[in-house]
This record gives sequence, C-alpha cells and structure tokens, in this order.
Amino acid sequence: MGRSQAVLVDITKCVGCESCVVACRLYNDLKPGPRAGGEAKPDGPAELAPDRWTVVQSFRVEKDGSRVRRFVKRQCFHCLDPACASACFAKALQKTPEGPVVYNEKLCVGCRYCMIACPFEVLRYEWDKPFPRVLKCQMCLARIANDQMPACVSACPTGALTFGDRDKIIAEARQRQYSRPDLYVSQIYGLTEAGGTSWLYLSDVPFERLGFPTGVPERPLPEYTWAVLRWTPHLFVGWGALLAVMYLYNRRRAVAHSEEEMYAPVDAEE
Amino acid sequence: MEARTNAMDPEKRELTRRSFLKMVAGSGLLLGLSGLLGGCMEDKSPAYVGGKGWLPYQYDLPGHLPAQVRGRVPIDPDNPSLSRDDQKCVLCGQCLEVCQSVQSVYGYYGLPVIDETICIHCGQCSLFCPTGAIRERDHTQEVLAALADESKFVVVQTAPATRVSLGEEFGLPPGAWVEGQQVAALRKLGFDAVLDTNFAADLTVMEEATELIKRIKGEAKRPLPQFTSCSPGWVKFCEYFYPELLPHLSSCKSPQQMLGALVKTYYAGRRGVDPGNIVSVSVMPCTAKKFEARRPEMNASAKYWQRQDLRDVDVVLTTRELARILKEKQIDLAALPEEQYDQLMGEKTGGAVIFGATGGVMEAAVRTAYFFITGEDPPASFLNLTPVRGLAGVKEAAVEMPGVGTLRVAVCHGMANGRKVLEAVRRKETPWHFVEFMACPGGCIGGGGQPRTAVPPTDALRAQRIAALYRADASLGKRSSYENAELAALYQGFLKHPMSELAEELLHTRYYSRADKLRPLSLAG
Amino acid sequence: MEVGNWSFRITLPRVVLIGLVLVAALTALYRFIFGLGAVTNLSDQWPWGLWIGFDLLCGIALAGGGFSTALIVHVLHRDKYLPVARAALLTSLIGYLVALVSLFLDIGRWYNFWRPFFFWGYHSVLFEVFWCISLYTLVQILEFGEVFFERVRAPVLKGLLQKLMPLLLILGIVLPTLHQSSLGSLYVIAVNKLHPLWWSMLLPFFFVWSAFFLGPAMVTLEGTLAARAYRREPETPLFRSLTRVTLGMMLVYLAVKLIDLGYRGAFPRLFEGSFESHMYLVEMVGFVILPIIMYAVPAISRKTWGVLAASCLVVGGVVFNRLNVVFTGMAKAAGQPYFPSVWEFLITLGMWSALILVYCFLVENFPILPKEKHSSPGEGDKCPERG
Repeated sequence: MGRSQAVLVDITKCVGCESCVVACRLYNDLKPGPRAGGEAKPDGPAELAPDRWTVVQSFRVEKDGSRVRRFVKRQCFHCLDPACASACFAKALQKTPEGPVVYNEKLCVGCRYCMIACPFEVLRYEWDKPFPRVLKCQMCLARIANDQMPACVSACPTGALTFGDRDKIIAEARQRQYSRPDLYVSQIYGLTEAGGTSWLYLSDVPFERLGFPTGVPERPLPEYTWAVLRWTPHLFVGWGALLAVMYLYNRRRAVAHSEEEMYAPVDAEE
Repeated sequence: MEARTNAMDPEKRELTRRSFLKMVAGSGLLLGLSGLLGGCMEDKSPAYVGGKGWLPYQYDLPGHLPAQVRGRVPIDPDNPSLSRDDQKCVLCGQCLEVCQSVQSVYGYYGLPVIDETICIHCGQCSLFCPTGAIRERDHTQEVLAALADESKFVVVQTAPATRVSLGEEFGLPPGAWVEGQQVAALRKLGFDAVLDTNFAADLTVMEEATELIKRIKGEAKRPLPQFTSCSPGWVKFCEYFYPELLPHLSSCKSPQQMLGALVKTYYAGRRGVDPGNIVSVSVMPCTAKKFEARRPEMNASAKYWQRQDLRDVDVVLTTRELARILKEKQIDLAALPEEQYDQLMGEKTGGAVIFGATGGVMEAAVRTAYFFITGEDPPASFLNLTPVRGLAGVKEAAVEMPGVGTLRVAVCHGMANGRKVLEAVRRKETPWHFVEFMACPGGCIGGGGQPRTAVPPTDALRAQRIAALYRADASLGKRSSYENAELAALYQGFLKHPMSELAEELLHTRYYSRADKLRPLSLAG
Repeated sequence: MEVGNWSFRITLPRVVLIGLVLVAALTALYRFIFGLGAVTNLSDQWPWGLWIGFDLLCGIALAGGGFSTALIVHVLHRDKYLPVARAALLTSLIGYLVALVSLFLDIGRWYNFWRPFFFWGYHSVLFEVFWCISLYTLVQILEFGEVFFERVRAPVLKGLLQKLMPLLLILGIVLPTLHQSSLGSLYVIAVNKLHPLWWSMLLPFFFVWSAFFLGPAMVTLEGTLAARAYRREPETPLFRSLTRVTLGMMLVYLAVKLIDLGYRGAFPRLFEGSFESHMYLVEMVGFVILPIIMYAVPAISRKTWGVLAASCLVVGGVVFNRLNVVFTGMAKAAGQPYFPSVWEFLITLGMWSALILVYCFLVENFPILPKEKHSSPGEGDKCPERG
C-alpha cells in the first residue's frame, strides 16, 4: 500500500439511510446507548459520541429559493498533518502511512489537549468512565491495511462514499465537478483545509450552510506550533548561557551574608 | 483428632495463624507480581481502538460487494408509519431489495434528494426485515389511553384482511378465519363500538362503480381507465411518480376513511354521541393507513360539523399492534367465542370481504356495476371472476356489460407491477376502462402491517390468506355490495344516493402531485 | 498543636480551611471512582475547564514570582531584595504543587502520567510544558532543600545543595521561562478556535512576559498579606522599588500587544462590539493601562496603598488574561456555554486552602521570612487570604 488513502463523500448522493453509521457500529463493536436507538430523534443534527464514531446529520437549507434537505456524514477528517497527533505528548494519536489517524488507548494520558487542537472538533471523551479514552473514527485501519475499504464505505448503497488513493479521489471529485458544473459548488472541502484531509467532500450547497467549520487555515496546524516550538533548544541553551554569564559576572557584587542570620520561622503564637 | 489437638495448642495455633497470613500475603504478592508482569508483556492486539467487531460476511470481501445485498432504505425519523431500531439492523439489504425490486420506489428517483425521504409507507420493508429492526410506528399507547378514558367513546373498525391473519399471531395457521373472535377480543378490550370496514368497502364499491359508469358514459369528464384508490401506498406512489395520471384515480376515499368520516357524522348522529368525544380507531393490515389518516384533507367530519379539531380516523393500528395489545392484556384470541359486529355499520357482503385480496375490489365493483347498468343481479360468472383472481403480477379481464359493451379491466399488485401498467397507460396503449392497483403483493392480505413470518412473506402464505377470503365470500348469501341492507338505510336516510352532494363531501377526496418532492431519474447526478 | 519540633497553631479560620481541604479530597475521590463527567461540567466542546484554566494556567502564572525573584536576586545580585526571596520561592513551589495536583485530577488516565517521559511526543507543546514543569518542580524542591536542611540541621546535605545551587538557580530560571511561554503556545494551535484578539503567534511571549512582570506584583501582594497576617511590618520600600521593574516590563507588554494587533489587522475587532471585544478592552484598559498609570504617577506609587492596589490589578489582570484565553476566546468555537460545577469550585477552593495552610505551616516552622527586629504584639492570627 504505502499510498495515502482517502474517502470522497458526495453529499448530493446521500439519502440519509445511515447504513454507514450501522456499519461503523458493527465493525468497531460499538455499543451505543439508547439515544442512538430507532425512536424518533429530535429534529437536529445527531452528534458524534464516544460510541458513535460517525453520524449522519440532516440539514434543511435554502437552495435556489426552495428548501432542500441534505445529509452530511460526519467523522474524523483524518488530516494529512493532524493537529491532534502533533498535540499529543504521549504519541497516543498517530498518523499512519495508509492515511488513517489512529488512537492508541494504552499510551493516552487523557489530557484532552488533542480536543483543544482539533480544528474540526471530532474527538470525543468518555466523560463518564473512570479511565476515559478519546474516541473517534479510526478509518478502519485494519481493513485498509488488508486492502479493503472502510466498513462505512462498503455499506453505502447509493455510492455517496468512494474510497481510494487520495490523488485518484481528488481526480474523481474534479471529474464530477467538471461534468456537472450546474450541480456542484466549486469547493472540495478537505482539499486544503488544515493542510488537506483524507476525507473529502463534494456538495451542491455551500459547505458553511451544512455545518462545516469555516476559517480552518490551509496551513497545516502543527506548523504553527512548530514555528514556536523549534526555538526551544536554542532558548534553553542561549538563555541558560546568558544567565550563567550574568551569574558569574554579578558574583563580584555578592556581599557575604549569613542566611541563617537573615531568616527565621515566624512565631504564630503572637 | 490430630488437627483439633494442634489447633488447641496455643503455640501451634500461633504458628498456623502466622503461616496462614504468610500464605495470604504471599499469594497477594504473587498475584500483584503476575499482574505487573502481565501488564508489561507485549500485547498482540492491534495498537489502536476499534475494529474488534464483526461484519456480515459480504462486507469483509475486498472491493466489489454484491449490489443487491447491502445498505438499507432511508427511513425518516418523522415517518408517520415506520420506525427503525438501529441497534437491530445488520445491513442485510433486504429492505432495500424489496423497496427497489418489488415496490420500485428506492432507486427510482434522482439524487440529490429534495426535501423529504421518499417513502410510500407500504411497510413491505418491515415484513422483509429479518431482525425486526424496521417496524410500524407504535400507536398502541394512544389506543390504550383512549380506552382507559371513561369520557371517550372509542369506536374501532377492522379491515377485511386482518380477520384472515390475526390468528397467525396466536398460533393459528395462515388464513384462519377469526372474524368473530376478533370482534369478541375488541369488545373485551373495551371498545364502545366495533364496526366493520367491510361496510365501508361496500360503500366504496357503490361510489366507485357509480363513478366508473359516469366516466364510461362521459358524464364525469374524467379520463379512462379509472384507477382504484383504496390503497394509500399506491395513491402516494402515483402522486410521486405519475402525477399526470392523477385524474385517472377514482375520487373515492379508501374504506377506512369513508367509515371514519361516517363515524363522526352519520354514526354520531344516529347514536347521539358528541363527535368530539369519539375516538375513531382502525385496525388495518397496512402501515400506509397511518399516513393516510394523517393526510390533512382527511377531516370531512371537521368540515361537516365546522369543528377544526376533528379527524376522521384518530389512530390506526396494524394487525401486529392489535395482537400486541391482546397479548399484553393476556387475551387469547383463539379461545374466544365468536361474536357479531355491531348492528349499525357492521353489515357486509361478499363483495366487501374480497377487498382484502388482489382483484377483489375489481370483482366487487364489476358485480355492482352490472347491477347499476342492467338493474339485474349479476350472473354466476361475475360472482367468480377468475381472471382477476390469483397472484399473477398483472391480470386482465374483459366482461360483457349488456348495454355498454365489453368492460376491460386490469388488476396489479406490488408497485413494480403497477409501474409497468402505469407506463402503458402513460403511452396510451391500453384498452382498459378500470384498473385496480394494490401497493402490496397479494393485496391487503400481504400488507406491511400484517403478522411477520420467520422468512419474508411467500406467495404460498398470501394464497392461503386469499383463499380464506374467497371461501368467506362464497359462503355469504349476499355477494354484491348493493345488497347491503344497512348501506341502503344509510343512503336512504343520510346520503340520498351515490355521489350525491353529501357523499362527495364526505366520501370523496382529491389528490396532490408530489412531483416537486422528487427529482426525475433522468436528471440524476 | 505541637509535635516534636514542629508546631502548627489551630485557629478557627484554619479549621475552616482544613474542612475545605477535606471536602475537596472527598470530591476528588468521587471523581477518581466515577469519572470526570460525574463531577465536572466539562464536555466535548469544553475539554478544559476551571482546573486547567484557573488552577493550572493561573496558578503557574501566579507562581511566576519565583523565577523573576530568582533572576533579580540571585543572578543579577540585587541583594537588597534578599529578604523577600525565600518567601517568593516558597509560594512558587507550593503554587506548582497545586498546579500539579490539579493536573493530576484533570487527566483521565492518570496512571499513564509517566508515559511522556518515555514516549517522546516532542512535537507537542504539552510535552515541553510537562517536562519543564516536572523538572522545575524538582529543582524547586531541591532549592527548598537548602532551607529544609538548615532547619533540620543537616549541614552536610545543605552544603551539598549549596554547591549545586548555581546550577539549580539557572535551571530554575530557564525552565520556567520555557514553560511559562509554552503555556501560551498551547493555544497557538487553536488557530480557528481562539478569538483573533487573543490568538497570536506571540502568545508564548505574552505569557512568559506577563508571568515575569507579575512576579514583583505578586511578591508585593503576598508580602503585604503575610505581614498583615503575622502582624509584621511589610517591606514597603522593597516593594516600592520593585515597581520600576514591573512598570518597565508592562510598557513593553502593552507596546508589543498593540503592534501585534496592528500587524495581524485585528484592530477593527477591538470595536466590533462583541462580548469578546468588550472583555479584551476591559483586560487592556483596566488591568494593563491603569496599573501602568498608577505605577508611573509618583503621587500614587509613593503610597503604600497605591503600590498595593496597582499590584492587585496586575495580578488580577494576569488571571483575567488567562481566563480570557481559555474561556472567553474559545466560547464561540465551543458553541455552548460552560460554567464550572459546584464540585469543580469546591476542589479548586480546597486546593487553594491547602496552599494557604501549607504556606502557614512552612513559614512558621522554617526560616523563610526575614528576622524581625521589632514585632508588634497582637492577639490571634489571620492567615493570608491568598498565597
């Protein structure tokens, strides 16, 4: 394999059946609580949870003067240069060469800095557990490594999900946009967001109206941190050396004084 | 005894206690150490979470998956007829299969979707779902609450098809005739009135046959062939996919809605009950009836009384829901004595009984149409119109109507068959005067609200239920709807005659194109 | 209460504080058994709350008095400040311990806390913070060891530590410089989440700089409070001369803040009228510009109350700034409000109570405050409200 794999989500082809949600649950052995059950859920977007790594959110939006309904599958975007992995100081989150960003619970300290760092806010914490994990879509790494597509992709009946090499997926997305310029908006979400992601979206409705985060910089987020962090060793050595020199230089001024004479415990009895 | 002596000796006992404590401490230490060692050992499981579950075999194949067995149909959370329990779904794809191949709904509209999930509420997916994940939206609590409310007058009607299937839920073979037991069970549950939808089926035949004759004679200014309109799934299908053929649809409401409209007008008047106090319940083999009862225009009684709060039918139960209530109340249907429907709006003829089978509406209408045209009782061949019976997908027949000529009819069930017929009608290639459509295979006896079987419903099962209906038809003295005496009284004292002004107001409806809800397939992206 | 050589007077306020610590300990136990969700109002939208935002970020910043004093006294050898040096270092140490405890309470898989020592996620800001704080706490403990061994009379060990002292002192300035700035760098990655009035590539500079100029103000505040509590004469002349350090650094801070806003084109956001812009204006005007003026006007800065008031503003301002970064600036991205639960407050309260108690115990048993020439008599004692 070796090449970075990606999934294209064509929002125009989604009918909202949530097969992907069920496939994810089955493959990853998630046991969602009753809120994921079949009874009518309140009319609002379903939210990711530690036991729901992907959800399909429903949006009613205005398009060409009429109300339309769009379904958006949500899960981890699997950034090419993931902020969460760079934020993790225990290497519990890592980007694999196949594309998925995976989480290793054994290394996790549970500090939740990854959740602060994630520009898409997809990480979920097991708040009610004594030893909580940070959970999210793993993009079915075991299946990808085994030349299979992620479970959700394989379960999609409408072809809204397409899996393959990221290059080919981008070409496919561009091809679809080219052949149906009347349908799609020109943006491919995930192409440049946060330096590019492994999940790419096509839509016929502007993405900001479908709850996609706006203002995600095109520069990979870890680069921001690194621009600051790379000065650390220099600062350590330079500042340390400067202090040492100052210390030695200023020692001349030191007046001998007995510290034992100077300080004393306070008498609280007074 | 040696041990006892040892224990009695203080020095020895001291030693024993000490060694015991040593043993406990030692084993604790060992346990802790082994735990520590175990914790440090290399773990062979993958170094990330997830992927520990299972998937049906077909999904574990790389790349190409069989197209017909995967995914599932979309079911909107606010679907009035159906709900789905995600925790039971195994993505077998059966719902998709039946929705696409049998009903030609899924996959027959272009994407992207517009603003609603396309569903005709037929409920076939709930019959095919092997895990019971898809089922009817449960309204049993509303009925139980109404029954518990002393101030409410709860009226129930039962569809023609439930009496040949309800028994299956109680261990009886398919097609077991449980009409009397069903009435007894409903009375036992505390319904104030038990009416027969068959009565309204006879009424439907009277209205629909009259309309047909008017069309044939050119009085109605509506096109031929006339389409039946009893099946709400079919009606919605037509509104979605063939809105230009809506004028062909008979303006008659379905028997459920006719009876509902009469319950809160004619019946309420005759019984002296405030229509506002009536809770009108129906027991149907059908999930689409739940949708039909909620169509905004199904409030003839509200218009009649000028009271906005009235709905003709308040709650629709499926056969399965009724069975569930009976089981919850520990009523064994099979053990009950047979009882009769109420006297007012409880009578039926054979023509109504066979409404539950594909071809039944057509046969009943032909019997009555013959009478309307000739003024005479139909001959024996009309009472056994074999060409429209049976489970063939599309059935055709031609009957001689004295004075009119040859009446050509067609019957189809399952919307994939219906689609073929509709395409032919659209191309104006058909000689038919009258076409019967039933959304579900086999007609109402195969409805989406009927008892579920271990395997998807088969034609053998459908045939057994149908046979029971025709047996009942044959055993009845009155075979044609115009012979219904209570119906005659209804016309005499209330409606005057078929398609009178009041009948139009209460018993007829109109249809609305839903073409704007779905994209034609050819424009799909 | 006296046990052997040690004494600790039990008074009513101290009983209340001990009670608060016990309540917090029980709450902490509950949190360890039933998870964070059972105790806190944290959510996936608000992964960090009161404990990180206040106890850790503010606590570490307030403990900044340690390293700035160390720099001034021991490296620059402004020996006149020696009388306040030990107290500053001590509060810093206790502050760090509180921060570490709150961090330990806050992390979910605390038994894994040692992981980052072996699995080097060096690309993470938190990695630097973690290492620096751990090492610095160790350094501070060693620094305190000198005092400790002086008290328990172990001259050999004290001598050994004194030999090490130059290295410890320098490490004790370099490490906090690094992690004080890193606490700011933590939020550099929240590019699209932190409000642009606060988000800046200079966040690390602002954090370390403010932590540094906070030091003298903090020393002033805690010196005054300790003097009040123990009925001593505050070291007012020292505090007054320290204000010059703060004043100079705050002017630089203000200038860089303004230049940064201009450079990033965020000036218009100052007056956008949003909640965030109002909070920012309050922070800058009330807690930066106002104390600068107070320090700069001799009529105010000559007065004891003036110095104290300005110092309070500076300390409050740094707390306000940290809370703005953690809460105000992130609120829009979170999309829903967060307010700490009673339990979160109780734990925080308990930890700060513990800090006060430990401070009282240490100054009463160890040579930390300067020897008094004349002590004014008085009855009862009152602990400082704040370390």
